[in-house]
Amino acid sequence: MESVIINALQQGLIFAFMALGVLLTFRLLGFPDLTVEGTFPLGAAVTARAIVEGVEPLLAVLLGALAGGAAGAVTGIIHTRLKVNNILAGILTASAIYTVMLRTMGRPNTPLLAYDNVYGQILGWFKLAENNYNVILVLLVFAVATRLLLGWFLNTDLGLAVRATGSNERMISALGVNTDNAKLLALVIGNFLVGLSGAMACQAQGFADIGMGIGVLVAAIASVIAGETIFGGNRLGRLLTSVILGSIMYRGLLALGLRLGLPAEDFKMMTAILVLLVLCLPSLELRKRLGGVIPGLRKDKKTMHPALPARPGFASPTADQTCGATPSRREMEE
Amino acid sequence: MIKLSGIEKYFFAGTPNQVLALDNINLQIQRGDFLTVIGSNGAGKSTLLKAVAGVISVDAGSIKIDGLDVTAHPEYMRARDIGRIDQDPMASTAADLSIEENLAIAYLRGQKRGLARAVTSQRTGYFRDTLRNIGLGLEDRLKVPVGTLSGGQRQALALVMATIARPKLLLLDEHTAALDPKAARQVMEITERLVQQYKLTTLMITHNMEQALRFGNRLIMMHRGRVILDISAEEKGKLTVAALVDRFTSTSGTVFDDDRALLA
Repeated sequence: MESVIINALQQGLIFAFMALGVLLTFRLLGFPDLTVEGTFPLGAAVTARAIVEGVEPLLAVLLGALAGGAAGAVTGIIHTRLKVNNILAGILTASAIYTVMLRTMGRPNTPLLAYDNVYGQILGWFKLAENNYNVILVLLVFAVATRLLLGWFLNTDLGLAVRATGSNERMISALGVNTDNAKLLALVIGNFLVGLSGAMACQAQGFADIGMGIGVLVAAIASVIAGETIFGGNRLGRLLTSVILGSIMYRGLLALGLRLGLPAEDFKMMTAILVLLVLCLPSLELRKRLGGVIPGLRKDKKTMHPALPARPGFASPTADQTCGATPSRREMEE
Repeated sequence: MIKLSGIEKYFFAGTPNQVLALDNINLQIQRGDFLTVIGSNGAGKSTLLKAVAGVISVDAGSIKIDGLDVTAHPEYMRARDIGRIDQDPMASTAADLSIEENLAIAYLRGQKRGLARAVTSQRTGYFRDTLRNIGLGLEDRLKVPVGTLSGGQRQALALVMATIARPKLLLLDEHTAALDPKAARQVMEITERLVQQYKLTTLMITHNMEQALRFGNRLIMMHRGRVILDISAEEKGKLTVAALVDRFTSTSGTVFDDDRALLA
């Protein structure tokens, strides 16, 4: 049981960075950013290469995160400047990232066990042993710092403009915000966090692999939904914290499943079905029927979207404007 | 002063369905003017407003605000000078954000946004005073998400947001049309009060002829992309709805076809 808890905390905190990034783009910006499937292993690949080249682990991790941010910028530019559909823009970037990763590492997999890692480096400063508990401590400090920074940013004038872009693009444009720039900024920050997540993951598991991004997006969405449904409130700070808790809970369930002998090869399917179920719950009105039985599913529990329950998979209709020769509906109305 | 010269706008240009939505519009709006705009369906009223706001680009002509040519500026660049409210109560406020966050965004209309805290106690004090002014009790609900407000409350908040930074021009596109009669009256009262208090130059589209005659100091009527009537304050004071419909029929040569305008 102890190993399950350790695993949940370690993996959960590592993927919490990704969940926060996904929360920012999918949920707050309403931008279904598929870049992240590529950004996660890219963060790991860049970090691995840097470590092999002799760069200090902490700096290597930062480079991995920055590479993630750059990938977000590419998607943002493809979408806002070249007017490509948001989903396609993400897919294009994610696909191109494969080449970048192979070129960066020179091969599909880089083992890192022979090198110092970021946890050992940081713990070494404080003369602490590198064991599971102390690794979790390092991750916890990183996660809390990220949570506080993100919370601060989203409450600044600029951060509010980003959130308003996700909530009502027409309005914020009429108030003088260049929504293209707001989207670009959110994509850079979101993918920076996903890159950071990948970097921290490769440092913990001791290798970087170009395949490590498969399915991470669905897992992150599951964490966001689980966190918001169970721990969320209608305040932004609460939402950010709930996503971190959701990530820990999701990884805990996976670890528990493994412990109970569920076959690991079924996990991706189970996660997909779980996410689908949670997304469908509001329209199936199961919440109402289960409301009395499971307190966590009570309908009166407030989420940030009173009218639109947590559905990170669906972008707001205004967020998606592609190029076209015909005038948009808005233009045609009288 | 707002000056529109020779504005033209085509829809479906170059196709057999080509429509001239704005046909050589020339309009000068003096500072402090309150124009009401009426016209039949498809007359080009909303298109005109969107062209002025920069939501759509024009095919010919120029738009000047206090002598500055803004014709080529996109919407977000004109936003500093122009406040706009749409018919749809969902369109002018952000549902997911609280009242104070919406106001904080509007407070910086058209300005550079940095990394300073958006909702400060200094700002909320000002927001509270401004909201008290419209008398709906919203000043005590600053932290409530806007999505939980009624349509009338949202349009009233949108009015505060549109005027809090004192734009040079306020554009209202049938902003009470989607509200129930009581809320519509309330929002119109607030509109009139704010326009007078801040001496705002205003362009208001309405489908309600009676409203068009009662508010403002100038009335223009549009038909098929043209301004066919331009009525000054003195003349407007003497007009009745019936007389206005008669003038429309004699000037345009067609029967006024908007039932809403007559029945409302």
